[in-house]
Order: sequence, then C-alpha cells, then structure tokens
Amino acid sequence: MKFEIVVDFYPGDTGEFIKVNEENCTGCGMCAKFCTRDVWVQYDVIYRPSNLKQCVECGACWNVCEYNAVIFSEPAGGTGVKFTYG
Amino acid sequence: MSEEEFDCVVIGAGCAGPAAAKKAAELGLKVVLLEKSLAPGTKNVSGTCLNTAALIDPDLHYIMEGPVEREIKEIRMHHITPDRSTIIHEIPTGGILLLSIRRDHFDAWHTEQARKAGAEVKLGTTVVDIIEDIDYVKGVVTDKGDIYYGKVIIDAAGVNSIVGRKAGLIPKRTGTNMILYVTVNVELGKEVIDERFGDCIEYYLAPGIQYKTWPWIFPKNEVVTLGTGGYMDENLINEEFPSINTYMENFLNLPLVKEKLEGGKIVAWGLHLEYDEPIEKRVKNGLILTGEAGGFVIPFLGEGMPEAFFTGIYAAKAAKEAIEADDLSEEKLNETYEDLLQQNTFMQSFWYVGKENKESILTKTDREISEMMQNVIISGGFITNVVHNKWMKGAEEEDIELVKEGYDFLEFIQPYRQVASDFNEIYKKRRSQ
Repeated sequence: MKFEIVVDFYPGDTGEFIKVNEENCTGCGMCAKFCTRDVWVQYDVIYRPSNLKQCVECGACWNVCEYNAVIFSEPAGGTGVKFTYG
Repeated sequence: MSEEEFDCVVIGAGCAGPAAAKKAAELGLKVVLLEKSLAPGTKNVSGTCLNTAALIDPDLHYIMEGPVEREIKEIRMHHITPDRSTIIHEIPTGGILLLSIRRDHFDAWHTEQARKAGAEVKLGTTVVDIIEDIDYVKGVVTDKGDIYYGKVIIDAAGVNSIVGRKAGLIPKRTGTNMILYVTVNVELGKEVIDERFGDCIEYYLAPGIQYKTWPWIFPKNEVVTLGTGGYMDENLINEEFPSINTYMENFLNLPLVKEKLEGGKIVAWGLHLEYDEPIEKRVKNGLILTGEAGGFVIPFLGEGMPEAFFTGIYAAKAAKEAIEADDLSEEKLNETYEDLLQQNTFMQSFWYVGKENKESILTKTDREISEMMQNVIISGGFITNVVHNKWMKGAEEEDIELVKEGYDFLEFIQPYRQVASDFNEIYKKRRSQ
C-alpha cells in the first residue's frame, strides 16, 4: 500500500512556538534524528527549526535534547496541527 | 487582556479535562475549561478504544452514552515470523470488550457534557504560562495575555503539558520511558470493514514493523486505524529505520495487512508521544496533574483514556475538598487524590500488569520477546503472564512468597475478569436513554 502522510492544519500564524537556544546547542542532532517531520535543519554546527510549518507538536525534539537548547511552547490559540481520529 | 477568577481552571479538553470540568461543576464549583484547538479532540491526542472493564465503575457510566464507532467483541493476534504466521482469533462469550471511538467526535461530546453541567468552555485558548505566588500555583496565562486565576488548577494538557513543565513536575523523558508512535487512518467504508475486520481488533508482531511494542489495527465505522512505534532509545531510529514511518510502511505492506487494506485510502496520519512511567510528583500547592500530563497512561498495554477520566474526576473531588477546607496545599490535595487512586482496582491492576510485563520485555532479546508474546497470546494475555512469571520464578528460586504474590494478584483482579454481563446490561440501559 502506498504510504502517504496526510496532515491537516488550522489556518493562522502559530508564532515561533519552537525555538533554539543557539548558545546551548552543541549540534548533536538528536532533535533532527527523532523529528519525523524534518523540522530541524543544520546550519554549520547548530540546528534550527526552519520547517516549523510542518511540525505536528509531538515534542520529541524537546524531550531528547540533553542541552536544554530546544524551547518548546505552544502554537497560538486555534492554530497548528489538526487531528481527527485520535 | 482580561482577568477572571474561578474555583477551578482546567487546561485541555481531551479525556481528563472534560471529566474534571464536568465533575467540578456538578460539585458546585465555578469552573472554566480551556482548550487550545478550535474543536476538542483535534490536537495531538491518542487513544482509540475504551476498555469496558473500566466503564463499569459508576463514575464512568455516563461515558457509555458518548458517540461510539464500533462495539469491539473479538481479538485477533497475528504472530508472523519468516517461517510461518500464527493467528489466534479470540471470541469471548457474549461481551463487548472495547468501544471504538473517534476522538474528534467523542471529545466534542464529552466537552459538551462538561458545559451542560455548568462549566464554562473556552476553545482556541492556548495556555503558555502559569502564575505562581509564594510556592502556590494561582493561575494560568494565555497566549493573548489573558489571566485565569483558580483556587485549584487542574492540568489535563497531555504528555508535554506546558503547565506541568512550567511547574517543574514534568521532566524531559526519552529512552525506555517514552514511546514514539505513528498512526494512520485508512478509509475503507463500513461494508468493507464489516467484511474484512468485523467488530474485531487486531494485533501484529512481525519482523521490521515494531520496536518492542506491538502494532495494532482498530476498526472504526468508515476507517481503520493502524498504529506502531517503539521506545525512544538509541535503537529506535537507525540506518535501517531512518524514521518511525519506516515501521509503519513495513506494517502497511505486510502481505496479510496489505490484502485487508486493498482499495483503501490513507485519510489521516498522526504522531504521538506517550510516557511509560508514572510521574514522580503529580500534585503541587494549588495544582493537580491528570491524564497523560500526570503520566497516568500505560501505552505498553494500550491503556490511557479510562485513567484520564478517572484522574480528572478524582482531581475535581480533591479540589472540592481542598476548597471547602480552605487548604489548597499539596498535602491536602494529595490526601484525597492519592486515596482515590489507591482505591481504584482497575488502575492499580493495570499499573501492576504493565510494570511486570514491561520489565520482562526490556530485558529480553527480540527472539525471546516473540516467544513470550506467543505464550501471552496462547495462555490468555498479559494478566496470566504476570501470574505465570511469578509462579515460575518462585519455583526456580524456591520462594513460596513469589508464588503467593502471583496467586494474590489473581484473586485481586477477579472482579475485573468477568464483567461482560454487567457491562452489557448497563450499556444497553444507558444507550437506550
């Protein structure tokens, strides 16, 4: 069966709800490794959540970051990923 | 920017939040339920089937009135190795095992019950911070800068809840404490699902489709939901499995599965984190963590929604007693909360079974897990596995206490092993209302 990733999003600006603390980031890449949505992109050494629009808010990057470099807040009210079935 | 005061502020309209808000309102408290999405059940939620063994608790009878997709009466276990496929089809006598639900429909209904009971509901309202004053959590701040003060704050905002994180109760979790898993919903239409799946959930174990968990297919009305994933340790993602989606892709293309999904279309994909250990501290002055926020989920056993309902309700009861006593301290809140948790046989038994089985899974090789799973399937499930393991260990170590422990547990869970007729009766009555 053809595997498709079908994701809905609410319209509207989520704001930068995931950010990187560049001073803390060591470039270990754990955030990118566990991100299923390719949100994290490497620039020289450090990683930035450049593709935040693709994020489904699972929080894997925040959990795996041992250096407290991932700042994980919430999208603005009524925006961000939209799931249906659970 | 506005400021409002409530007895209870509940964050999150998933499973625990509406249960807490409804109970708090019924107990006469002034309560507001804040939900970040525009419709309940549309954020990062997981959970698709309700265990009827939990719903026979009088606290949860009302849940039976909610929108149900399918009444699950059978289980099929597929154990696939390169040599052979073993399929066990279990049909318990005359009972509904699980209620399959859609979370957008169900959570919306549940939130409406909270509203009808008197809770104020605010959708599209994201909590981004908490207000603390002399060691007491006093309120929450939304992304618009609005402040909701509450005598007791009930956190029901899920596994990564910002409330629990800001309060210092939810730590970072990975490795064998956290499960990352992916779901897809395949639309097949009711008739095709009736024919290929019926009212039956399916579990699979096969090479390359899971990492120390067990993939499943749960039928809903028009779609079937597939789920798989694994513990977030260093072996989950590697060259062979560059993404969690690889496990799902292999699952979808397992010949047995592929055949059943023929002609279907993927209509939704989801990604979830689930914490697999109880949170050390679930209560703080003025704050109670419930549901996934409180670590009240046992993903290994596919359990979570009833725990969320129960803990939401218990948190509301604890809040009521604390407010009446004019003592919002951690000790006071914890007193009622812990007491109610300890009295709940369903939750206690699932924690016990989950812990014992997880231990045996994590210490075994993949081959040993396959063999154990086959035993689990053939000998009647995880509960039997616990008793069996205790018995064998006791015999091996010549320690009768271990055997007694297994036997005591079997006695302890007896009321929950024969619930079918009770459930069916209550369910029928509730649905006809």
